[in-house]
Amino acid sequence: MSNGGTPLAQARALYRVDSELAAPPELADPDTLLNAFHPDHLRSSVVKLAVGANAGENCQRELAQQLQAEAFIDEADLAGAPVTDTDVLIIGGGGAGCAAALAAAGRGARVLLVTKLRLGDSNTVMAEGGIQAAIEPDDSIQRHIQDTLRGGHHAGDPELVSAMAQDGPEVIRWLIEEGMQFEQTASGDLHTRKAGGMSAARIMHCRDYTGLEMMRVLREAVIQHRGIEVWEHSPAVELLSNERGQKCVGAVFTSLLDGRFRIVRTHSVILATGGLGRLHLNNFPTSNHLGATGDGLVLAYRIGAQLRDLDSFQYHPTGLVHPPYLSGKLVTEGVRAAGALMLNAAGQRFVDELLPRDIVCAAILRECAEGRGIRVDDGRVGVWLDTPRLERSQPGMLERQFPKLLARTQMSGIDPRSEPLLIHPTLHYQNGGVVIDVNGATTVPGLFAVGELAGGIHGRNRIMGNALLDIISFGRRAGVAAISEHDRGPKKVTLEHVNQARRALTLAGMPLTQRAPQILPDYAAKGIWNR
Amino acid sequence: MEPLTSILLHPERRVGADMARWAAAGGGQALARAAQDPAGVRVAIREADLRGMGGSGFTVWRKWEAVAAELPKPDKYLIVNGNEDEPGTFKDRMLLEETPHQVIEGALVAALAVGANRVVFYVNPDLKQSLAAVDAAIAQWHASERLAQASKALGRTLELSLRPASGHYIGGEETAAISWVEGGFPFPRGKPPYPAQAGVHGCPTLINNVETLAHVPHIVVHGAEWFRSLGKAPGTGTKLYSLSGDVLHPGVYELPMGTTLRELIFEHGGGLLSGKPLKAVFTGGPSCSLLTPVNLDVGLDFDSLRACGGSLGTGAMIVVSEGTGIVKRVAEYMRFFAHSSCGQCNSCKVGTATMSRLLDRIDTGRGTAADLDTLENLCALLPGSGRCHLISGTVQLLDSSFRHFHNEYRQALR
Repeated sequence: MSNGGTPLAQARALYRVDSELAAPPELADPDTLLNAFHPDHLRSSVVKLAVGANAGENCQRELAQQLQAEAFIDEADLAGAPVTDTDVLIIGGGGAGCAAALAAAGRGARVLLVTKLRLGDSNTVMAEGGIQAAIEPDDSIQRHIQDTLRGGHHAGDPELVSAMAQDGPEVIRWLIEEGMQFEQTASGDLHTRKAGGMSAARIMHCRDYTGLEMMRVLREAVIQHRGIEVWEHSPAVELLSNERGQKCVGAVFTSLLDGRFRIVRTHSVILATGGLGRLHLNNFPTSNHLGATGDGLVLAYRIGAQLRDLDSFQYHPTGLVHPPYLSGKLVTEGVRAAGALMLNAAGQRFVDELLPRDIVCAAILRECAEGRGIRVDDGRVGVWLDTPRLERSQPGMLERQFPKLLARTQMSGIDPRSEPLLIHPTLHYQNGGVVIDVNGATTVPGLFAVGELAGGIHGRNRIMGNALLDIISFGRRAGVAAISEHDRGPKKVTLEHVNQARRALTLAGMPLTQRAPQILPDYAAKGIWNR
Repeated sequence: MEPLTSILLHPERRVGADMARWAAAGGGQALARAAQDPAGVRVAIREADLRGMGGSGFTVWRKWEAVAAELPKPDKYLIVNGNEDEPGTFKDRMLLEETPHQVIEGALVAALAVGANRVVFYVNPDLKQSLAAVDAAIAQWHASERLAQASKALGRTLELSLRPASGHYIGGEETAAISWVEGGFPFPRGKPPYPAQAGVHGCPTLINNVETLAHVPHIVVHGAEWFRSLGKAPGTGTKLYSLSGDVLHPGVYELPMGTTLRELIFEHGGGLLSGKPLKAVFTGGPSCSLLTPVNLDVGLDFDSLRACGGSLGTGAMIVVSEGTGIVKRVAEYMRFFAHSSCGQCNSCKVGTATMSRLLDRIDTGRGTAADLDTLENLCALLPGSGRCHLISGTVQLLDSSFRHFHNEYRQALR
């Protein structure tokens, strides 16, 4: 990603908070810019899938390697593995998984929720902006649907979008009943605000940690529910299928603590494993949490589920570059909305900061690629987010509105009030995913997918506030639908679908060397996970 | 790989429920001959040594002669058994779906040969496409002259009907099928009386498997000698093998009866997946048993396999490669049988459940030497104690896994 650039110390010395700024150059042709610099548009980053339900379709290169990889386990690994039976198995302990668990358990099902790390270790807690629902008098469900479809470049599934938008007000009511706090107006109404791509004020929020507050509530509810059992530190390594490999009847888990395999048999499996930022597609940093390695996509694809929009990802323009341990962490879009500008190493503006995310990303990448970026010691490059100038024009603003940002940067000795932040686009969200219907059911019987893992809702671009609504809306729908799955006959649990996948790979002449799912990023797995 | 011997699954015959195309491929000739000489059909079947393809391998002509010898009381039934629910078996659904007229013609030839006037197609309710194909095909027979001509030859009206089965595994047993066709729960009955004497509502009843009947028209047209020459002695004719498990190309293969396991797996099935060594093969059927690599060159026909202690069953071959736990597989089968037991006979109801529980314990690492001992004693005690063959077949599988893989059971103990 680097091509020269000014060293950090030198750029810091050059920076002046009171320099005169010219307006950014007019952007003549956004498409040319996108085609040249946006990772989704790079021809080298897209390949055609050779096997599976989406064979022949476009897919991001690194993701394709994961989807067309060999399984971790063989039947032999399951010998002597303890077996647990449950009505509904939920894989993933983020917002969507918890919502599904509560919905299913609330209707009397025995629920087992298994999560790779700890309950609540998820991207849900990272959501800062808020949650959308059409509750204002001048707003309507219809407008919410239209905004979402337009924001997704009309690639979304109108049926899914409509289901989600209709759930909106009820989702907010349910969250409040569960105990979630929202910002209120002086008169006690829910406080709403408008964000990019919205035709009405529709975002409800809790300071700049809405997702964290949501997860707090969901987590407590799940822990307290007697019908829900939770296994932590237990990544799923494979799903289980019936003897024809055509229905999902359970899953195999390992343990990060003792490495032993466990088998769970069930009537229906809800995958809620979230996104794949930690695969670092195209070598991008990511805003995602440590466990976001796209395991659910791999497992669903191997058992035959249809996926969609596998070449469309959302890159957030403002991820931190420096300090290194915060690499990829998000600076909320609100900072730019509040008036913060972006500067290159020469101290010049290069793009209108409030253009859509994909265009701003491409513009930043162009600066970095053409040597106008700022380089840190390890070679990574970024541009300035001019927070001191914002502070200078509106004193006290950062402290009032962005306490989380301030706390996070100050911990590493950077004060954004006096020093600009070095930023670079960061892999933020997986727009596509597993194809689902309005109940979250995938194309494989017995298998549901909800949350970021599922595709079709946000089209090829997600607008702010819809992610949190998506996870609760479809999480609850899937939880209800999953308990109506039942089977006559005993559940014969096999790895037949793994055999089928292996057969397809062999026939397509693909190597069986790479294994997936990844479970943890390489750099995190050292010493604790030696697969 | 040599070309497959395609009789039943010849591409020209796989036309679905399309009577014109079926007739163009030679369909209907056998029925015309049978109408002339029903007794001659029985002779041809006898000389061809056609066997019951549903798993028993019973000689077909004996059943036919027994039914033919009975007087109608007032009817005679023919049940076409398409319950197909055996693990790893998926041949009958293919015949019903892709060649329904071939099966119907075979059934009508059989009906003429034994004097049956009511023909019931008894098909697994989960096989939606097969049901649809048979339904459409029967409608075409009703609309055509052929059925009327066959009725004329029989001397009374031939009735074709489709009866979706119960969906219970045990419903594939012949007396259970009779109970279901009568309108009751598919409980198997004790024999005698045999169905040939007293079947559906006390009437003489012939029950044959779908694949068995599909062979009949070809034997009638081409003769017994031709049919015998298709097989590899002592096998006669062709067999549909359902190949599944850890092979590269699973599927249904129509091969000479008596083809060796080696040819089936390595020539036709493309060898084992990922090049792993062969560990065992589960043959599907009411009394499935295990084959091991030493049986690779045994001919896959009823007599050769029986001679080496196995059984061909339905012709299902579930291939298991090295790296697969036998205990887990057998425990899964046992769970299937315990679930499938109809519960009439105590020894079977309690026996399969107990064996399943003990195997589950051993499989999940909680079993003791005493559990294994109990299982071995049950294997000696239980066979032959039920009205039908389920409990005996169950024990046969367990017993054969003990014989070949006793070590694995020992290692799995706590």
